[in-house]
Amino acid sequence: MLAWNQKSFLIVDDFSDFRSSVRSMLRELGVKEVDTADTGEQALKMCSQKRYDFVLHDFNLGDGKKNGQQVLEDLMTDKLISHESVFVMVTAENSQAMVMSALEWEPDAYLTKPFNRASLAQRLEKIVQRKNLLKPILQALDRGKPAEVLAACVNLTKQDPRFAPLCLRYKADALRDLNQHEPLEAFLKSILADRPQPWAFSALGKLLHKRGRNAEAQAVYEEAIRTFNAMPVLFDGLADVLIALGDRRRAQKMLEEAVRLSPYAVRRQRLLGQLALENKDFDGASKAYRQAVSQGQFSRFKDPETNLGLAQALISRGGERGLDARTRVEINQTLSEVAKEHTNDAGLQVRARLMKATSVASSDPEMAAKLTEQAMARLDGMEQFLSADAALAVAAQLTQLGQEAAGAGILKSCAEIYGDDPVVMQNIAKQTGDPDILSAGKAAIDLNMQGIRAYRAGKLGEAQDLFRKGLALQPKNISIALNMAQSLLHMGVQNLDAASLAECQNSLKMVGKMPETDPRYERYQKLRIRAFGE
Amino acid sequence: MKDQDQGLDFSMVIASTVHDMKNSLASLIQAHGQWLEKLPEAQRGTPEQGVIDYEFAHLNGMLVQLLGLYKLGVNQLPLRPDYHELDDFIEAQLAFHQEVLASRGISARYSVDDFGLPGFFDRELIGSVVSNVVINAIRYARSEVLITAGQVGEQLVISVNDDGPGFPAKMIENQTDYVLGINQSSGSTGLGLYFAANIARQHQRQGVPGHIEIANGGELGGGLFSIYLP
Repeated sequence: MLAWNQKSFLIVDDFSDFRSSVRSMLRELGVKEVDTADTGEQALKMCSQKRYDFVLHDFNLGDGKKNGQQVLEDLMTDKLISHESVFVMVTAENSQAMVMSALEWEPDAYLTKPFNRASLAQRLEKIVQRKNLLKPILQALDRGKPAEVLAACVNLTKQDPRFAPLCLRYKADALRDLNQHEPLEAFLKSILADRPQPWAFSALGKLLHKRGRNAEAQAVYEEAIRTFNAMPVLFDGLADVLIALGDRRRAQKMLEEAVRLSPYAVRRQRLLGQLALENKDFDGASKAYRQAVSQGQFSRFKDPETNLGLAQALISRGGERGLDARTRVEINQTLSEVAKEHTNDAGLQVRARLMKATSVASSDPEMAAKLTEQAMARLDGMEQFLSADAALAVAAQLTQLGQEAAGAGILKSCAEIYGDDPVVMQNIAKQTGDPDILSAGKAAIDLNMQGIRAYRAGKLGEAQDLFRKGLALQPKNISIALNMAQSLLHMGVQNLDAASLAECQNSLKMVGKMPETDPRYERYQKLRIRAFGE
Repeated sequence: MKDQDQGLDFSMVIASTVHDMKNSLASLIQAHGQWLEKLPEAQRGTPEQGVIDYEFAHLNGMLVQLLGLYKLGVNQLPLRPDYHELDDFIEAQLAFHQEVLASRGISARYSVDDFGLPGFFDRELIGSVVSNVVINAIRYARSEVLITAGQVGEQLVISVNDDGPGFPAKMIENQTDYVLGINQSSGSTGLGLYFAANIARQHQRQGVPGHIEIANGGELGGGLFSIYLP
């Protein structure tokens, strides 16, 4: 029997009747410490102040509020709850489609309303029993030590082979975190050959996708969907792979399927909006972005790009016909939010203003001119780099608003910063035929390629010279700057003379204004830490 | 407006109404439970109480099943199999029905053969199937219900046995018709078999699907329902 009187509980439900009913069930079990909350936000706050042994959380806390799954995600991501604590998701309906929105963080159990005291006690006792058994694994997880998780799994299985099924997922996650790709692949394939589970399919698909084996990943996801036809994460995974393979139309179809199964997922709706926008399905894009904005309100995945996306989709949907008053109001609202919440982000301020100017260009040209002017003034002094997509959108809008020269300027700096990415260059070419912009970076990019070859061949000095020459031509090019820094750091920072260290630091400083969403940002951070010793 | 916007999608209307009904019922059951606790001991455990508890459970089971059938129909019933300890699974079933069993004066027990590994199935789905079968067994049982889990060949078998009069001979003879949904005339029991068989079939291992069987006899001599999971 459990020592109930020593355990602390948090009940989260928006119905006070339910809270008091569960509270009295717990009292009868002998529980002394029961706190309650009626919103997810309050629950998060309470969990940050006190460690609870048990959280009983209702899934659906009303429209426009954080739901149980979002709270669980926040608790785990922000480490507000230990892996040893018990999180029970209380739902109104069995196997609720909404609950399936995430495989990443799963509650320890689901309890379907209504439940009685006997059911509650039985469930909790079993979970505690299991968690006691898994204690070494859970403690290693709390310490964030995947190698120890792995060792604990091996130990437990050795102790009794019957425990092996309990360890499967912990082991797979640990192998993933340790980047042990081959053992992980073999392990997942052995699980799937015996007893397929959705998470194992998803993990294998992700692994293959990450390693660039997209055709294989596609086959895995397709088999997974044949076996488990109602799991949204599998459609998400297939969509990612299809995007990588360039089939954006089918990727959109897959996400539409996932959204049909489980509409409550901010990131999924946002990606769907983005794909639909690219596929020129402006109705679909508006719908998905609108969902993403409204659901994102209370989510940790709230993102100004979603608001900008919604505005873009609505403007594109209007097309030549222009916008009706209601749409203009919606655009204004969604953009004002961005401007209000990101006052210090010059890039977002510029983009929100230009977007709004575009939306009122025909209905209120004066206002459009004013907003454009403000945006251009902000652009002038801006140090931070726009992402390639943002820069392309800004350039197009400037041109459309009659500021061709400013638009060309944006394209030019975009070509300098991202010129080594052929996709970006293709998109720039869609907006301009100016050879000054399109081929200015060519020499530098060639030097960069030669530099990479020399670096790979171990000719370090030669590589440094080539990168240096390239960087002199295009000092803001992120790739060349990072390559320059890396080739200098290759011998170890302690072996650099003062001039070389300064050169390394300067090239990093120059691209330090890159957007954090850039896939190279992590690499930049690592190099920066080495070069600046922070 | 497009064509599809005209008129109502009736199965969807039913599903969302059932969802609300289930929420209502949950509040009702809960309020009733709290109210009961305030009653003096002498007024508890009356025969009416047995009827109320049983019909609450029965209603709840039917609504869950109806939602399940809807999701099956629109291909949205998520299957998420995992490893589960059988005594845990069965204990949870008995705990869930504790009030009904007590107020109807039926003793329930279970036995699990020791076969080494936990079972592999979707806990929610198999749970709703077994729960409905248990409610049915309680209805017909005189004094006892027995749940067993064991292994037959490579398959896990969960059975529910009672000491009542058993299934009608016609139903046992024609069980394939119920399973395939051909004969649905026998009300909720028939629909229950259809649902159970469908859930069983979703559980497959290397091409072998699960199935259900009904018979009379078993240890208690009454109805015997078995679900086979590969």
